[in-house]
Amino acid sequence: MKNAVAAVFCLVWLFPVYWMVNTALKPRPEVMTPTPHFWPHQPTLDNFTAAVTQPQFLTDLRNSVVVVAATVLASIVLGIFAAAALSRFRFPGRRTILVVILAVQMLPATAMLIPLFTMFNSLDLLGTYLALILAYVATVLPFSIWVMRGFFAAIPAEVEEAAQIDGAGTWRILVSVLFPLVAPGVIATGIFAFIAAWNDYLIAYTFMPDESRYTLPVWLASFTNPHTGTDFGAQMAASVLFSVPVIVFFLLIQRNLVAGMSAGAVKG
Amino acid sequence: MTARLDRRDLAPLWLLSPAGLVLAVVTLAPIGFLVFTSFTDYNQRTLFTGVYTFVGADQYVTLLRSGAFWASLVRTVLFTAAMVAGSVLIGMGVSHLSTRLGRAWRYTVTVVLIVAWAMPNVASSLVWNWLFQPGYGVANWMLAQLRIFGDTTSLNWAQDPALAYVSIWLLIVWQAVPFIALTLYAAETQVPHEYKEAARLDGASEFAVYRIVTLTFLRPTLLLVTILSVIWDYNVFNQIWLISRGGPGDATSTLGVYTYKTAFVGFQVGHGAAVSVVTTLLLLALTAVYIRNLLRAGEDL
Repeated sequence: MKNAVAAVFCLVWLFPVYWMVNTALKPRPEVMTPTPHFWPHQPTLDNFTAAVTQPQFLTDLRNSVVVVAATVLASIVLGIFAAAALSRFRFPGRRTILVVILAVQMLPATAMLIPLFTMFNSLDLLGTYLALILAYVATVLPFSIWVMRGFFAAIPAEVEEAAQIDGAGTWRILVSVLFPLVAPGVIATGIFAFIAAWNDYLIAYTFMPDESRYTLPVWLASFTNPHTGTDFGAQMAASVLFSVPVIVFFLLIQRNLVAGMSAGAVKG
Repeated sequence: MTARLDRRDLAPLWLLSPAGLVLAVVTLAPIGFLVFTSFTDYNQRTLFTGVYTFVGADQYVTLLRSGAFWASLVRTVLFTAAMVAGSVLIGMGVSHLSTRLGRAWRYTVTVVLIVAWAMPNVASSLVWNWLFQPGYGVANWMLAQLRIFGDTTSLNWAQDPALAYVSIWLLIVWQAVPFIALTLYAAETQVPHEYKEAARLDGASEFAVYRIVTLTFLRPTLLLVTILSVIWDYNVFNQIWLISRGGPGDATSTLGVYTYKTAFVGFQVGHGAAVSVVTTLLLLALTAVYIRNLLRAGEDL
């Protein structure tokens, strides 16, 4: 009985993902049928070819890669030092900083979008990579600090003391003792940062009006063409390509997922 | 705990300043700027000329008198309640189911949950549009097979207020259940067996054991998960935008969509900023509760 319930749940919950893959593998006549085919009768990779040979695909992929890589790098480098300060030292104002970092996570997206938009507009930055990277750092850096702080806090104080007895100074202890120990945390945080920036639609959609500066999510959503109708096969193939890296990363960091999620790393 | 390093050490200051400076520029300054903008008539013209006038609390007065704002606030509250209730209840069910499954089934359920959770919301919104597509969508076909609602083949979900809500609700719940179920499951495995055994020996039914013993232990986690869900669902934008654009008319225009339309479609940026400030203040009240609970739950700050 309970296994039957589990089976039904799995079928229902997996169905949308299955339908995406199923549609992606069907030739067009099988996609557009009044009676849906529950598996591709004549499987084909044509939809994938159609998706990646779209005129903007490579440009937009490059935009995404540049912006996401810069965001991940900046958040890790800035975040690791801040996380070290907030977890290995006691100083006045520490709690306040932590509460602010956590609260900033919960802001509605538009609350950041409007002022960043007007700021970048007056600085003439709209439509540039820099605008997008700065906006992503604003969303990603706070949770990166929060998540890495957790990894630092897990290192026992004895490790630090031992290094101190050996005569190592503050910087030495940080760089050669603590940083290597938080390496797994850095990777997990980097993955969270990647997912957040890679998935963003709203900011890119608002800040990058020019088609040649679209990122992949905006490219994906703009597949809908009111004149020719949506090519659902190609759109689903593109969705598969876009989602696969994220799904793989999720499965890789599943043990850290819940902790990262509570810090606002991955939103619904 | 730590702090073996010299207390007068200036290291934390140096360590914090790069991130602090960046966050001050890209996070704190914008928040200040948002509040400032909400007291101006910043509009489309301003985007080109940079000219705006200070209008005091006018934007807020207009806002509080605007039927569209109140309507979208009410919509947001009701819709958030429906999404949170749906996802928390199903999440509790899946979590409890997982505790009773054998290893293979439990593993399968976990993987399914993670895959659904991992789907980027832009991709899943597009999948939803396709599932609920009039004409060729598989959802309409399945409904037609039930032979309850008649011929549903050309049902246009995004163009009907109630149906648009239903499809967005399904999408949000589908995406929200995994986090809730996995978090609750982690907590549910910590419930001491002795208590359940004792309740069973006293003749309690399985349902009573769950209600009296398990739920008591789950309460703190359940509260955190619920508050987080409220915050996230209150902020939902992408899915609504990509499925219905807030339509038909304003039917699914929640506060996020309303703000976006005001600020970036009508380019009444000043007014949009005021809506955003009010939205944020309402949310801040919830966030404060969340952080207090996190502190109480033993998170060491």
